[in-house]
Amino acid sequence: MPVMYGTYGLLAEFDTPAELTRATYAAKEAGYRRMECYTPYPVEEVASALDVHDNRVPLLTLLGGLMGVTTAFLMETWISVWSYPINVAGRPLFSWPAFIIPAYEWTILFAGLSACFGMFALNGLPQPYHPLFNAPNFRLGATDNKFFLCLEAIDPQFDREQSRAFLEQLQPVSVVEVDL
Amino acid sequence: MAHAIDTHGHAHGHHGPRVLPADLSAPPVVNLWRSRALIVAAVFAVLAALVGLLGGPNGAAHIMRGYLLGYMICFAFCGGGLCMLMLQYVTGGKWGLLLRRPLEAMVGTVPYLMVATIPLLLFGKGLYLWERFPTIASVHDALKNGLINEGQAHSLSWKHAMLNPWSVFVQMLVVYGFIFVWGSLLRRWSLQRDLDPNRGTMKSYDYWRIKTENLSGIGVLIYSIILTIVAIDFMMSLDINWYSTMFGLTFLVGQGYVVLALSVHTSIRLSKWEPFATILRKTEQYDLGKFMLAFVMLNIYLTFGQFLIIWSGNQAEEIPWYLNRIRGGWWVICSLDFIFHWVVPFMMLLSRRLKYSRSKMLALTTWMIFARCFDMFWLIEPGFPDTARHFHISVGTFAYLTVPVAMIALWMAYYLTQLKSRALVVVNDPHTVEILEPEHAH
Repeated sequence: MPVMYGTYGLLAEFDTPAELTRATYAAKEAGYRRMECYTPYPVEEVASALDVHDNRVPLLTLLGGLMGVTTAFLMETWISVWSYPINVAGRPLFSWPAFIIPAYEWTILFAGLSACFGMFALNGLPQPYHPLFNAPNFRLGATDNKFFLCLEAIDPQFDREQSRAFLEQLQPVSVVEVDL
Repeated sequence: MAHAIDTHGHAHGHHGPRVLPADLSAPPVVNLWRSRALIVAAVFAVLAALVGLLGGPNGAAHIMRGYLLGYMICFAFCGGGLCMLMLQYVTGGKWGLLLRRPLEAMVGTVPYLMVATIPLLLFGKGLYLWERFPTIASVHDALKNGLINEGQAHSLSWKHAMLNPWSVFVQMLVVYGFIFVWGSLLRRWSLQRDLDPNRGTMKSYDYWRIKTENLSGIGVLIYSIILTIVAIDFMMSLDINWYSTMFGLTFLVGQGYVVLALSVHTSIRLSKWEPFATILRKTEQYDLGKFMLAFVMLNIYLTFGQFLIIWSGNQAEEIPWYLNRIRGGWWVICSLDFIFHWVVPFMMLLSRRLKYSRSKMLALTTWMIFARCFDMFWLIEPGFPDTARHFHISVGTFAYLTVPVAMIALWMAYYLTQLKSRALVVVNDPHTVEILEPEHAH
């Protein structure tokens, strides 16, 4: 892997989720697109500000669920009707009410696993290295009590001086430049 | 979704907490709604009378069945409202603060339900065998004359201690006594709490929180027993032989389903005017939507659970209840019930966008109340000899439309009167400050 040099982006630190949300909206309005927010816990409004709600996780979950329900139901039908038919108290071999619960469990299992691993995959995880961990304040605060907005250098609008000035007028606790 | 919050947030352009309007009482439009409810009640009462006249004896019998449907729905609003009120006191949470006054208004309608119980006790002979044959001697006579079969006679004698008119009367005294006492106390305390001279202090918050929690904790337990009694007396005993230990619980969850639908509907409707315009935030509306989804899922879970257990057991005393409700064309109603009552709300409530949208949530909550009535139709109508395993529409069937609509509309008028009688926002509660905070996006 080639060694990369340069700037990853500018990292602004905030104390509250409200300030972070406002800053994100402001950055969006100013035309920035390649940016990311980092919060110690999920902040719904920040996700809305970044417009990351419309992603493919729900679709993957649905597909997983459908796969689970079909697999389980067909498997049960095959076992009970063709593979190993047993007469249970005179009930029909194809007794669908009894199949519902295992089929439901498989729906949940497959949907859950698809959601979880789909989310990992779409997020590009696992990721053993991330440049932001080079910033000491990020290392200490991102999982604790700090809220970060990072404008990434690959954004066409990114300019080291202007972007820093832009972030500073949003009154963050600090703005630091993060190396790749 | 981002867009809704986005436009909303930027339109205001200020970041401080919002301020409650000076006048916290219900908007004048509630009077208009009440007049409309009364008109609907009157029109449908006339239509119900027509059904009774045109339908002959069958029509008259159906009037009582429709009456039972309306009664059970109104009871769900009133009793279920009390249960939800106690639940929000026990659990805390901002959603409860929003719904508290609508729920208190629902509980305040208990006199309506007390009066509405009387016709069931006096004219329920066509509905309940225990009312038609109130004594052991009359049961024996009925068996001799071939009016009932041996199984029914056995069940009637066996269940006589609980299911006879006087016993049910006493049970109803206990049921409504409980709802009245608990409802009145919680309603009174809620007003006293707002007038507390120490209001706004931690001491006052703690005092009222502990006081209401203590009453509500035991109240939720008692209510689940009380509700089971009502469900057994008025619904399960339509088929004297049948029993299910899950029955009371399915009604408890069904009440949560319909009470949330009505209270969310009320809140969203009121949010066009002050004070709900200020206090109903998107965040809480979204949370309430998720809460509704939980009830929708629990509802199908219990209903299907009951079916699966009875289907697996395949016992002669249990399974006819389902066969009566599936065979002879009833499978159509049963399938529609499954779709209306579960598939539609479940699919809709999965969507984030829908839970944030006011107009769509209004439509969905209306639908859920209708679906609950439809479910009740499926529970009641196949329970009689003329309709079991034989679905057909007669003039009498329309009693299921006219009588409940008249009853529910009249109940609504009472509910709206109760809603008008006090301020719509609870002031002395730590959540009031939180609910006035701007959402992060604002």
